[in-house]
Amino acid sequence: MTDKEAAFLKRLLVTFKIEAQEHLQGMCAGLLRLEKKEDSAEERAELVEIIFREAHSLKGAARAVNQVEIESLCQGLEGIFAALKKNALPTSALIFDLLQEVLDSLALALADVGAGRTHKNKALQRQLVRRLEEVMRLKMAVEVPDTLTDVEAGLQENVVPLPTSFDTPIQEQGTIPHHSAYGEQNVAPHPAMPDTVRVSTDRLTSVLLQAEDLLAAKFASSQRVLDMRSASAAFGAWKKEWVRFQPVLQELKRTGTRGEACGQNSDTLELQRSLTRVLDFMDWNSDAIMSLEARLKVETTSTERDSRVLGGMVNNLLDDMKQVLMFPFASLLEILPKIVRDLSRDIGKNIELEIRGEDIEIDRRILEELKDPLLHLVRNCIDHGIESSAERLAKGKQAGGTIRITVLPLDDKVELTIADDGGGISLEAVRSAVLKLGTVQGDKVATLDDQELLAHVFQSGVTTSPIITEISGRGLGLAIVREKVEKMGGTVTVETAPDSGTTFRIVLPLTVATFRGILVRLGGNLFVLPAMHVARVLRIKAEEVKTVENRETISLDGEPVSLARLAAVLELPAPPAERGASELLQMVVLSVSNTRIAFLVDEIVSELEVLHKGLGRQLSRVRNVVGATVLGNGRVAPVLNVPDLLKSAIRMADFSSLRGGDNTTGDSPARRNLVLVVDDSITTRTLLKNILESAGYDVVTAVDGIDAGTKFTNHRFDIVVSDVEMPRMNGFDLTAAIRADKVLKDVPVVLVTALASREHQERGIDVGANAYIVKSRFDQSNLLEVMKKLV
Amino acid sequence: MREITPPENDIQRIILKKRAAALAVEPKEDGTENDLIEIVEFLLADEYYAIESVFISEVCHLKDLTPIPCTPAFVLGVINLRGTILSVIDLRTFFELPNKGLSDLNKVIVLNDGVMEFGLLADVIRGVRLISVKTLQPSLPTLTNIRADYLKGVSEERLVVLDGGKILSDQRMVVHEDV
Repeated sequence: MTDKEAAFLKRLLVTFKIEAQEHLQGMCAGLLRLEKKEDSAEERAELVEIIFREAHSLKGAARAVNQVEIESLCQGLEGIFAALKKNALPTSALIFDLLQEVLDSLALALADVGAGRTHKNKALQRQLVRRLEEVMRLKMAVEVPDTLTDVEAGLQENVVPLPTSFDTPIQEQGTIPHHSAYGEQNVAPHPAMPDTVRVSTDRLTSVLLQAEDLLAAKFASSQRVLDMRSASAAFGAWKKEWVRFQPVLQELKRTGTRGEACGQNSDTLELQRSLTRVLDFMDWNSDAIMSLEARLKVETTSTERDSRVLGGMVNNLLDDMKQVLMFPFASLLEILPKIVRDLSRDIGKNIELEIRGEDIEIDRRILEELKDPLLHLVRNCIDHGIESSAERLAKGKQAGGTIRITVLPLDDKVELTIADDGGGISLEAVRSAVLKLGTVQGDKVATLDDQELLAHVFQSGVTTSPIITEISGRGLGLAIVREKVEKMGGTVTVETAPDSGTTFRIVLPLTVATFRGILVRLGGNLFVLPAMHVARVLRIKAEEVKTVENRETISLDGEPVSLARLAAVLELPAPPAERGASELLQMVVLSVSNTRIAFLVDEIVSELEVLHKGLGRQLSRVRNVVGATVLGNGRVAPVLNVPDLLKSAIRMADFSSLRGGDNTTGDSPARRNLVLVVDDSITTRTLLKNILESAGYDVVTAVDGIDAGTKFTNHRFDIVVSDVEMPRMNGFDLTAAIRADKVLKDVPVVLVTALASREHQERGIDVGANAYIVKSRFDQSNLLEVMKKLV
Repeated sequence: MREITPPENDIQRIILKKRAAALAVEPKEDGTENDLIEIVEFLLADEYYAIESVFISEVCHLKDLTPIPCTPAFVLGVINLRGTILSVIDLRTFFELPNKGLSDLNKVIVLNDGVMEFGLLADVIRGVRLISVKTLQPSLPTLTNIRADYLKGVSEERLVVLDGGKILSDQRMVVHEDV
């Protein structure tokens, strides 16, 4: 047995002990209640059933970890309860005693599990098993089960003497309480209190949330300190003035005393006396202010101390709470060997799985979120990463493929790599898939380098698999992988080499906990940008913004970087100009995998530590916003989704340049594209017709799929925009019909629908729609842009 | 600790059995108690509405609402509810009611059915009371579209009782948008 296996077995035994303890408690409680005979026959039957199940479960668990003694004891118990269930065995005090004895023995055996001391109790257990069998045998012999006395007599005759036939050390130890029939109480040693407690993760999470809420108190307290310090500093200005004023005061005092000495007239004297009083009051005033300053200083110092103590306590509590919710990767990776074995066997491939670093711990919430992406990546490796044995042999590789999963700690992060030694991702296939999807213009696709091209595999709809299989090929998986990983504040990248394999690298934070964020202000709203995506914060003069190819850019390290207005990207109403053009513009340069865009904000407020929180179940996914955080003042600020922001900014830029392009095409009398709009709602039809006509299309409408079919006989459409839910023939069927038609099969179809679910989206892709726009996010720019790409 | 084979299965089964037995008992014909439901009555844009209290986990003050950009108009924003972020929805947008704007009197009714959770904006909470389901009229012809979709019934006092379950399970409420 390797060390690893030994360690695993040890962990398993610990788990088993916890589980067994519960089963045992269940049986004990049930048995005690059964013995009291207070319940109705029905309830008793239920109790027997419960105990039977517990014994059965424990037997199974014991067998799994090779605890033969426990297994055989449970088997005996199970037999008794099976008989009790059928009412084939009368319940006598004797039987209860025996059963309790068995439970005690089980508790003892359990305490020894993993401690290697099982030997001395074995004889006792064997004997108990024998006695259980005896009871069962007796039951068979007793013809009339109602005659309790007979059974009891039988038991006493047959069971009690039994121990004497064993000459074992147990007798000497006197631990066989078979005299219980005479009312003696069992005094088997109690097992020690378990040193683990099972607490539902819900409850733990709620405690963690409360601990996290203390962060707000911590932030607020450090803010208080800052406020007090600045109040303290305000005295400095007064002091300066006071010192500056001193000569004047001195001068006044001097004239006052001189006047008294010279003996001037009473009026002047009176005035001078008043002046002296005022001067005295000034001195008193200054003393009062100074003492106030001193007091404030003292208070500030104690507040600072309190704040530090509070901060430390909150941090410790939070760290400990996070530790509680830390789990080793093993708990996630343990499921993989079986999945890999089963899946690879199903598709007839020979695949080995190697796992390293599974003992590294990470926040449980991250592990949970990681499950789907990990499964998806592993399936990818199996389904189209690793080639079939024949293919591999032809390439001169070993027949069997290998998937390597490695967990590596990286400072405060963890790197998880999923690597296969398969055929690698075909860059040409990605290129054609990107072309097919049409999100990148054709001429641009040709210029993409390998790394840029590879980044597209994470895009929704890009698949290199020629067929859609049960396991993968829909082109949605990797998009989901990236989204989930990014949501946790991680990154995912891919490397591939022809015939030597593909490696997915996921870098994750250790806890969902706090991360550094940049707090920015737009109008009256505050937003947080995760610092990991902030490449730079800048202040530049307005005249440094240059327009290149009709787009605003700034120069960064000698390279032009596009400039976008964050408020516009977030679809916030344009705020009134806050500052003159002479003032500096504040901007944040955001970067995600080689794309850099500068975003103009009204103010960069501060850098801060933030705790990421989800937006709740109703806001399942919001464009450009990944979550929220609670600021020091208790207010909530949205945390922005940087990858989304870059996409939105690029899209807006494309759209604005597209609008510029429309003007030029307006001059040439080129044939206008003909659109078929299919929708059962007259409002939608009218609306779409208006939008499309003003965007330069000719529009024909149809009320449902059937109607659309007839329209096709008279027109040659360049594109179809269809609703999904319609009477007679819905959008899916219409799309399928178009795809099935020899002449029409290449006409692009855009589905516009209220069905936002992933399944519907997949269904849309399945039937061959080119785009799927959800009505809730229905704005005309989106539709027009998609249509522009398609025709 | 992680879940190990749940021994609750049987207990659950027993509980379910008991419930089934309890449900199988025929209700008394005159049973006035059985058709009573507890409702929370609230004011929304000068109209009275009510929701069954079983769908309401709590009611709280609306303060420090943070609007979330790029969300549909019916999503007012989010609030911090004891460390959890809760989204708040404005039914007025659905019901085409006049938008009165927010005031400090505004309340949030937290709807929760175990699957979905969000807050509903209300102007004033009038209170909790019992009403008889039998007295509820199916609908009013003036209630159109979405308001009719969410309707449980209209009481004798013309109080519109909304179906909390339907509101919670309506997929139109869920925001799930990609860029």
